[in-house]
Amino acid sequence: MSADEPVKTAKTEGTDWIATIWNFLTSLKLVVILLLILSALSIAGTVIEQNKPLQEYYRYYQPGTVALFSKLGLFDMYHSWWFVACLSLLALNITACTMDRYRGIMAGMRKRNLILDEKLSKSLQNLTTIRYALPLDAVEKKMVELAGKEFPGKPVVTAAEEGGSHYFFEKGKYSRLAFFMTHLSILIIFLGALIGSFFGYKGYVNIFEGETVSQVETRAGKIQNLNFQVKCNTFNAEFYASGMPMDYRSDLSILQNGKEVVRKTIRVNDPLTFEGVTFYQSSYGGQPDQVAIEAVSRDGSVKGTVTAPFGRVVDIPGMAEEVEAADYQEHFHLPDGSEGGRAVGVNIYPAKGGAPAGVWLLVNDPEYDKRRGGDTYFRVRDLKLKKYTGLQVNRDPGEILVWLGSILLIAGIMIAFFMSHKKLWISLRTDNKGRSELTIGGTANKNRDAFAREMEQMIQSLKEVS
Amino acid sequence: MTNSLLFGIATFVYFFAMVLYVSYLAFRSEMLGKVASRSMLGGVVVETAAIGMRWYESYQMGIGRAPLTNLYESLAFFAWTFAVIYLVLERKFKIRTVGAFVAPFPFLIMAYAALNPNDIQPLVPALKSNWLISHVVSCFVGYAAFAVSFGVSILYLFKAGSEKRSPKSAGSFWDFLPSSSGLDEIGYKTIAIGFPLLTIGIVTGAFWANVAWGTYWSWDPKETWSLIVWLIYAAYLHARITRGWRGKRAAILSIVGFAATIFCYLGVNLILSGLHSYGSAS
Ligand code: HEM
Repeated sequence: MSADEPVKTAKTEGTDWIATIWNFLTSLKLVVILLLILSALSIAGTVIEQNKPLQEYYRYYQPGTVALFSKLGLFDMYHSWWFVACLSLLALNITACTMDRYRGIMAGMRKRNLILDEKLSKSLQNLTTIRYALPLDAVEKKMVELAGKEFPGKPVVTAAEEGGSHYFFEKGKYSRLAFFMTHLSILIIFLGALIGSFFGYKGYVNIFEGETVSQVETRAGKIQNLNFQVKCNTFNAEFYASGMPMDYRSDLSILQNGKEVVRKTIRVNDPLTFEGVTFYQSSYGGQPDQVAIEAVSRDGSVKGTVTAPFGRVVDIPGMAEEVEAADYQEHFHLPDGSEGGRAVGVNIYPAKGGAPAGVWLLVNDPEYDKRRGGDTYFRVRDLKLKKYTGLQVNRDPGEILVWLGSILLIAGIMIAFFMSHKKLWISLRTDNKGRSELTIGGTANKNRDAFAREMEQMIQSLKEVS
Repeated sequence: MTNSLLFGIATFVYFFAMVLYVSYLAFRSEMLGKVASRSMLGGVVVETAAIGMRWYESYQMGIGRAPLTNLYESLAFFAWTFAVIYLVLERKFKIRTVGAFVAPFPFLIMAYAALNPNDIQPLVPALKSNWLISHVVSCFVGYAAFAVSFGVSILYLFKAGSEKRSPKSAGSFWDFLPSSSGLDEIGYKTIAIGFPLLTIGIVTGAFWANVAWGTYWSWDPKETWSLIVWLIYAAYLHARITRGWRGKRAAILSIVGFAATIFCYLGVNLILSGLHSYGSAS
């Protein structure tokens, strides 16, 4: 540290214990330890799966362990009181450090020491004096030109008492603010996350093709009303030949007072935002709309056919029984555990009244119901599905702060690492033998070895001036 | 496929470069050193062609995507960034002697990549994003910088040890290496390159997750591990500001940081589960 550098803010005065707490909060040791503790704690949550239903944990752990972990908050550890306490301590630590350094950084940006005086000269390691046979103004011209390459902008010139002038160049003064940028940005991100969790919500909604919703269910299980309606015009899923998903897209409309105000096709990676609420393509599915059911006799002749709207009990023409398509599964599990594909759960109401019999009919295996026995079995002749799109719905008023903080953080780190506040002093005068004498010295608050090389080069070129 | 052939040649050239770097350290001939650096550069050139070719071939197949999306491709890209970063630093800091300890990585990474399936698969919807490239590239250049710092830090520990044992032994093997304070400085500077890149990688990743899934941070294992890595290097940077934490302790933190990096990159996929799925076989 050179004489030109501001000294770290002096130890806080006042009652001893306040000073002790302040010194604890502003110490770099605390930062290092806190950052390492946070990283060590974070590991736990990647090893223990988080936020699963409690009964799932019993499959992996002893009941006693589950009780203990649950009590310690290890199943939702990133929201546990001790993790949040560590984050709060970090926020406090950053706040205290920023306050502690504020004066020093501001002082460092002030123009001081415009003159290469004796005290300053002593502190500069690269102080060099060069003498020329040229007249003073010729040296000045060349010098300003050379220094101007590294330090654009006009130098501050002060006339020296004993003749000649002092020149003060500086560059990158504002890079000192990088400290505030990096550290305050973290507080801004924290603030954004807090605002999001208190004033935002994450929800979920399924919308059938052609239907409109105006409410979503939040993760917390509450119903959230929207100030507008969302309509799903169509949903499409496309697949590669290998069966891998290629594209999911929903054509959505936003309606206000029954009028369409926005229409957009959303995909994964391309959501729709309206009035601060964002809709993300998240899942999809189908529910039977109409099921054509056939009653077949053992010999294979069709006894009757009906097209049943889902969930309604209907007569089968020519038969005494009634049927209802009541349930649907996209991936039906056969009794042997294998996958049976799409299946419709049908209730068959006996002709003489009484409780219905429930059977599963497989779409891909029409003869599946035959094994039930009896002289009539049922099969699905046609299945019309009503598709729905599954949307994640978010409102996060804090998000903008998170991105603002992120940008500040990146910019601040870049500036902190790759820029520095450089100062250059040059004095010109005529020495007692009538020669022009130039004295030069400089400092940088960071990357000092790179600066030393730059200075060396500049001094070399100054020496070559003739 | 032409790209596979080119990747194969690149692997071989990296192997050759590794042998040369080790010979350079053993025989201390400047000539060998120059050839070693040139071969590493040759490996980079061939691999650049391989990556470009793979990109081009994906378009020919009608898939058309950046070659950065499965384990094979990410390892190959990691080897590439590693070699590039190392060559840049070798030039900048004149640390060719470190090469023997660092140059084996591109070969080893490529050899490991070769164990993984390398067919060009189309992308699932979540990966179709312009954020993919900026996210992956910044993370991986950051990782490569950390890897170089790791190599240099290990060397620092040996070198500092040898300086302690025999402060003035001239002509010993260790004298050929940069001084311990030089290694300490290089270890720091490489992290100063990696840290901003990792920060960009995490932020672009969060932004992408927000666009794709509607949450910028969900504490999934991959995200959390990238945060762990970030916290360790942040601790490193602050530790270095305090007196007494340079040198040995800083080197150890750099080594721990890189161990966490490797776990974040490979361990999470192989051992833990999460959204970032390219470690699984399918
Ligand atoms: C996650 C939290 C933090 C991050 C990411 C962070 C990041 C950084 C970065 C990137 C630098 C620049 C390093 C350099 O200039 O060489 C830095 C410097 C610094 N940080 Fe932090 N920091 C964090 C927390 C803290 C805290 C809590 C304190 C309070 C004690 C602190 C105090 C400092 C100090 C004193 C410097 C040196 C500034 C200078 O050289 O002028 N940091 N930090």
